[in-house]
Amino acid sequence: MKLLLLLELRRLSDAFRHPRPAAWLGVVLPVALAVGALWAAGASARPDVSTGDGVILLGLLVAGPVSIQAYPILFRPTDDAFLRRLGIHPNAVFGVRALRLLALALALAIGVMIPYAATRQPLVAPLSIVLAAGVAGWAASLWAHAHAAASTVSGKRPSLALKSLGPDPELVAAGSLVFAPIWPVIAGAVAARFAGDVVWTMPLRLALVLALSAAMLPFAARSFARALPRFAPRAGEMAYAPPPNATGGELVVGRGIASVLPRAAQAVRARDAVVIGRRYRWAARLAWPVAIVGALAVLRAGGSPGVRTFVTLACGATLAAQAAAIVALGRSERGRTRWTDRVLGLEPLDRLVGRWAAAFGLALIVAVPLALGWWIVGDGDTAWVWLAAAAVTSTVATGASLAAAGR
Amino acid sequence: MMAEAMTAGRMMADDLPLSVRGLRKKYRRGVVLNNVTFSVRPGDAMALVGPNGAGKSTLIGCVTADRLPDAGSVHICGADPFADAARAAACLGYVPEQPFLYPELSVAELLRFVSAARGLDEAASAAETARLLALLGLAGAEGTLCRELSQGMGRKTAIAAALLHQPRMIVLDEALNGLDRTSAERLVTELDTRRANGAAVLISSHDLDFLARWCTRALHLPATGTWRALDGEDWEAWRRAPTLAG
Repeated sequence: MKLLLLLELRRLSDAFRHPRPAAWLGVVLPVALAVGALWAAGASARPDVSTGDGVILLGLLVAGPVSIQAYPILFRPTDDAFLRRLGIHPNAVFGVRALRLLALALALAIGVMIPYAATRQPLVAPLSIVLAAGVAGWAASLWAHAHAAASTVSGKRPSLALKSLGPDPELVAAGSLVFAPIWPVIAGAVAARFAGDVVWTMPLRLALVLALSAAMLPFAARSFARALPRFAPRAGEMAYAPPPNATGGELVVGRGIASVLPRAAQAVRARDAVVIGRRYRWAARLAWPVAIVGALAVLRAGGSPGVRTFVTLACGATLAAQAAAIVALGRSERGRTRWTDRVLGLEPLDRLVGRWAAAFGLALIVAVPLALGWWIVGDGDTAWVWLAAAAVTSTVATGASLAAAGR
Repeated sequence: MMAEAMTAGRMMADDLPLSVRGLRKKYRRGVVLNNVTFSVRPGDAMALVGPNGAGKSTLIGCVTADRLPDAGSVHICGADPFADAARAAACLGYVPEQPFLYPELSVAELLRFVSAARGLDEAASAAETARLLALLGLAGAEGTLCRELSQGMGRKTAIAAALLHQPRMIVLDEALNGLDRTSAERLVTELDTRRANGAAVLISSHDLDFLARWCTRALHLPATGTWRALDGEDWEAWRRAPTLAG
């Protein structure tokens, strides 16, 4: 464990020991933008902790992302196979990955506190709530995912609930993992509600949540150690994506508005759009439901500040997720497919314009319905902000993506 | 009587660097490995031969616990890599086709980490590291970050990491690809020395002439059909005219 922690510190300090503009740009810029956006959003991005709904929403904002990130952090690190081949004990591996997830939970907790600080609200109550939700979501994530992984490779017959997932036996076999993220979200919401009463018992309640969360860790570690040797190879196989069968769109160069671009940029846009559509299909899949639900919510109850806050947060998060897919595309090119662009003689400007067009096209899925909804409910003066937000996030994501791709 | 036979069988399996019994692996596209059974004895250099997609990497993955077999057993020096990962890891040195190296660490740091993680004696492993780096032509590259290594240098670093703990079972998946001729020859000499001391090698490569020249046996995995162990006369016949058709 100590050795792995030293390794972790060594890796984290790389950006300081060998500073590279691309690395800093890829990390600092999105963080600075996120902090700036949360600060600027202020009251509209701050759930009201004097109501039960607000407390639960605050808890969900922290526990949700922790729950979603638990699986890749626990079971999909790039060095997983390497560490297993070195014979490192699963408990040490679990410890380091649990700390990574805790760091994420604490970072999220700090993030959602920014609007409270920006609007000079009392910090004690929301801080207690986010800490309770974050730690409870963290511990429950560790337990739920480790337990689900262990049951996936236990060889037991799947339950009726898992069989209800469909006819695909592989999906049924991995069904426990499908349901695993639900428990941390519930735990986070319950912990937030439990710790959220603004009375003198709040510290005691927070301490109780922390103690219960800590008590879950040995169970999570035991399940993880039981699961890892057989589940880790299975996780690698589950990550395999079959070759796309005309899904995610076909490569068509120069279609629609993109035909105004230079020919080389059109090719880059078409290629990037197809690769994003196939490799990061979730980025597009996420966008449609959020855009439709968001637009309908604005049309039906656009006058309510609560609805607007919710829609703004959901769509902002979706744009951020899409930006992450664009950046991930750049990272995947580093040392690999980037060379093809060089060999083809594509100019940096072609790559920039083409990738930006692909990113902007993706972001418009969210931005256009929202802007239309905003405009229809009579807020035409601010509807354009959605298009501007799409353009800005696309620009930032494209810059970070190309920086991540390297030379 | 039966207990005695089981004990004898167990001892034999414990002595063997690698023992694979009834291995079966199926993907969505179909069965890749069907009831594969073989063992690698001390001193062996076993070639894994077959066309692309025949299941060579899957077989190696099942041996190194990177793929979960649907049925069958794998034992490395008597240890099941899925049930007794630490003991299997202590016996196994593996160089994957695309080795993982921490991009943030230098070559020396990476090898120091490997040595510490394996619990090797610090002074002895430092000397062995220096010897392996010199052998592979990496002397002077200790301070280079792994992300700045060329493909060949990265592979050499992975080879050094795999050989550092004197494994009894060495698995090389296309490990000679990208190595310059001098380094490849030195590596083969090093592997010969280790084989003479009781280690065994399982190697997958598309360089059939090299496999025919250097290996002592082979396992042939055809694109379709049944796997075949090439031993004795079969092996001699194959090495005279090496072919993927088996």
